[in-house]
Amino acid sequence: MEPEELTELALEAAVAAGAGYADARWVREETEGLTVTDDRVDDLEAEDSSGLGVRVLVDGRWGFAASAVLDPARVRGLAARAVEVARASAVLPGEPVRLAPVEPAVAAWSTPVASDPFAVPLARRVELLLAACDAQRTVAGLAHAKATVDLWRRRTVLWSTEGARLDQLVTQTGTGIEAVAVGDGDLQQRSWPNSFRGQFQAGGWEVVEAADLVGNGPRVAAEAVQLLRAPPLPERVTTVILDGQQLSLQVHESVGHPLELDRILGMEAAYAGTSFVGPDDLGRLRYGSPAMSVTADATTPGGLGTFGFDDEGVAAQQLPLVAGGVVAGFLTSRETAAMAGGGSSGAMRADGWGSMPLIRMTNVHLEPGQGTLDELVADTPDGLLLSINRSWSIDDRRVNFQFGVEAAWEIKGGRLGRLYRNATYDGRTTQFWGSLDAVCGPQAWVVWGVPNCGKGQPFQNARVGHGAAPARFNRVHVGVGGPHG
Amino acid sequence: MTAFGSERLLEVAEAALGTEGADDVEALVYRQAGGLTRFASSHIHQSAWREDLWVRVRVVVDGNRVGTATVHAADPGAVRATARRAAEVARTMPPDPGYPGMPGPAAYPEAGHHDDATAAADPATRAGLVAGVVRRLPDGVAAAGACETRELEIALANTRGARAAGATTAASFSILADAGSGTGWAEATEPALADLDVAALGERAARKAVDSREPRDLAPGTYPVVLEPTAASVMVQWLGWLGFGAKAYDEGRSFLVGRLGQRVCSPLVTIVDDATAADTIGVGFDFEGVPKRRVTLIDEGVAASLVYDFRAATGHGVEPTGHGLPAPSAEGALPMHLSMLPGQTPLADLVAGMERGLLVTRFHYTNLVNLMDTTITGMTRDGTFWVEDGRVAGAVRNLRFTQSILDALSSVRAVGSETELAAEDGYGAARAPALAIDRFAFSSATTF
Repeated sequence: MEPEELTELALEAAVAAGAGYADARWVREETEGLTVTDDRVDDLEAEDSSGLGVRVLVDGRWGFAASAVLDPARVRGLAARAVEVARASAVLPGEPVRLAPVEPAVAAWSTPVASDPFAVPLARRVELLLAACDAQRTVAGLAHAKATVDLWRRRTVLWSTEGARLDQLVTQTGTGIEAVAVGDGDLQQRSWPNSFRGQFQAGGWEVVEAADLVGNGPRVAAEAVQLLRAPPLPERVTTVILDGQQLSLQVHESVGHPLELDRILGMEAAYAGTSFVGPDDLGRLRYGSPAMSVTADATTPGGLGTFGFDDEGVAAQQLPLVAGGVVAGFLTSRETAAMAGGGSSGAMRADGWGSMPLIRMTNVHLEPGQGTLDELVADTPDGLLLSINRSWSIDDRRVNFQFGVEAAWEIKGGRLGRLYRNATYDGRTTQFWGSLDAVCGPQAWVVWGVPNCGKGQPFQNARVGHGAAPARFNRVHVGVGGPHG
Repeated sequence: MTAFGSERLLEVAEAALGTEGADDVEALVYRQAGGLTRFASSHIHQSAWREDLWVRVRVVVDGNRVGTATVHAADPGAVRATARRAAEVARTMPPDPGYPGMPGPAAYPEAGHHDDATAAADPATRAGLVAGVVRRLPDGVAAAGACETRELEIALANTRGARAAGATTAASFSILADAGSGTGWAEATEPALADLDVAALGERAARKAVDSREPRDLAPGTYPVVLEPTAASVMVQWLGWLGFGAKAYDEGRSFLVGRLGQRVCSPLVTIVDDATAADTIGVGFDFEGVPKRRVTLIDEGVAASLVYDFRAATGHGVEPTGHGLPAPSAEGALPMHLSMLPGQTPLADLVAGMERGLLVTRFHYTNLVNLMDTTITGMTRDGTFWVEDGRVAGAVRNLRFTQSILDALSSVRAVGSETELAAEDGYGAARAPALAIDRFAFSSATTF
């Protein structure tokens, strides 16, 4: 059956079973992940997953049912099961769900792709990754070289009983290299363009070409070997400059998540947690310094959180979250927007056919300031440049965080100096963002991809984007040599 | 009786085996179906049911060119098309000189505990359990959490004659009780829903929440601790990820490099991996069709053994242990049914034996800081208490720990007599007892 036949049949069956509202979302996702280690293909995963998810409201209660195994009888059964799930939820009292209104959209949308990555022959992909590993292995002392390419293409057909008829095709591509040095009981790694399989963007093979894996191989490998000989970062309080890669995760964990309205309202309490931000903090809470402006933008070219419509059929939009350091907006759904008294921000996303949409970040950017990284370093008398994430952790209200990075360079008199290994920094969210005093300009601003954002029960994995340029923070505690406040 | 049944799943797998021009073919079929009832602020807000079935086909051509492809479908036509795609991939891949072949037929151990009632549990059953717990909460306490039931069926067939099939069920209940300025947590997972004592879990979480009210500040520092099983299981799980796989060991990315056969922690610590244990959720074979074996990883404090997939075992000239992931795998073998063996001290006595220190219910958002010295960081959550003269003397605000797991396990003073199967935020699961540890490093604090 065609996707539109499945969604139409599901909606009819849901209404017949008693749903007051229903949406049916057919998704097909094709993925290809390739990993080369040293001189051989270590892993190749090619997956084709399609299925149908039916979401219903019955007397103000949600129900959801999904399956990969589809025929007309099963589709009708799915809709009936979603209604059964919703009815069962009424055993406990609670405010019925209301949905903020949205004009039902009838549209098609697709990611602009310069070069279809799935059309690039597998042999060529393997050849590139082997060359990227060879480039790293020219450096003496390297233990292992790794190179990866990941391709994702998702078609979503979303129909609703309100009249939404949407067909979207999102293509995303990721690539990276990772050099590993081992010795004297230690292991150090250096990555490019980012850690954890590299940089991910919406788009095609052009994302891979822009990364220049081969050209960066020798440098990355040399830095990994240098790290093995570098001293551990001593504990102290100092000025730090975060590179864009690390800053993107800092924004993700300590700004994006706390401003999700479902967390603020306690809907994620048992799993991902809540937020130190309250619903009444809108327009009031000083989150950071005046240099801090953060925008959620589902229209940004290249972002992993870029789409035409979210999984409730709400059009992609731009929304200020923090303006001049003050909370200016929340990431919302139709349900939470109705509770808060506004329209949805279009942030409802599911990780596939088998999951209910949740409030997820789209692309949450730290807006750029001015100047280059070189100028920012030159303007820093004493501090550290911290580069590329290695570890992350934050409490369940998003206050206390600690990050580890692959490399830390000392800054003395405006110049980069010695290299340190095993660097960490930590802090509390509003204190940390309050110490932001400079963000580099648009020429240093890149939309980084975070492809592994976990949330929800059952667990869902979202891919989100973060535009960031290197930025400077003052009075930051680095290293974990001992206890501190 | 399972929804699909091993015979039907093996038929699905066997549809791939006749792929033209292939030297070896393997098909792995994985089906999971179940429901989850989720609650927050003491009402049910998100509930779902999902059924997924996928078939992963591995095809080898020209002796050692390997390709794989996966499809989410059960009809033979789709499976055969996927096998052809895997063969196309294989033909474009470079030769793999280390390709070890595929395992042949084997006798598989009894494992997997399939409970028909759990597999058939309907939304009303799950919602009823949630409602029963919520209605018994004390005044001023609200709850969030989830009740999940699921059925897992898995089958594998290859052209070397391996035929494996198994099924299991799992039921879990977790509850976070919120008493205003304090929260409490309890969770449990069992093969059968009927074996979950959800009322007891609700009472435990609510009691902890009430006891956690009005927490006071505690200066970060190194303290004695008693970790409840849910917290201890996180350390066991991390150890499993950090270096017991033979491939990781061979590549030098294991904390065990140079330490096998040596003492790495207290002799009170023994950790095994056993998918066939009655108190875990598992089946009797791995993702390559190798029988699961019980492996002692740490034997009374001594690093005893690695786990092997078929490739690593062939390279080492040893028997595979049944810990292979779908091959080929960049990760290699992983222990996924970890259990730290219990001691003889009840939890209450562990606390009573601590002059001054912390009782920790649960960890949150742990992550690796340094692989080679097994340092992880994370937060305490949902019940962190100061203990004075062996008695709980009130709640403290949550703390961040940054601590080497092996160092912590080296200062274990006593091991709890009861174990629990737990998972941090749903990632993996390990069975662990409570642990009394003399030195545990808390590096910073938070505000609640």
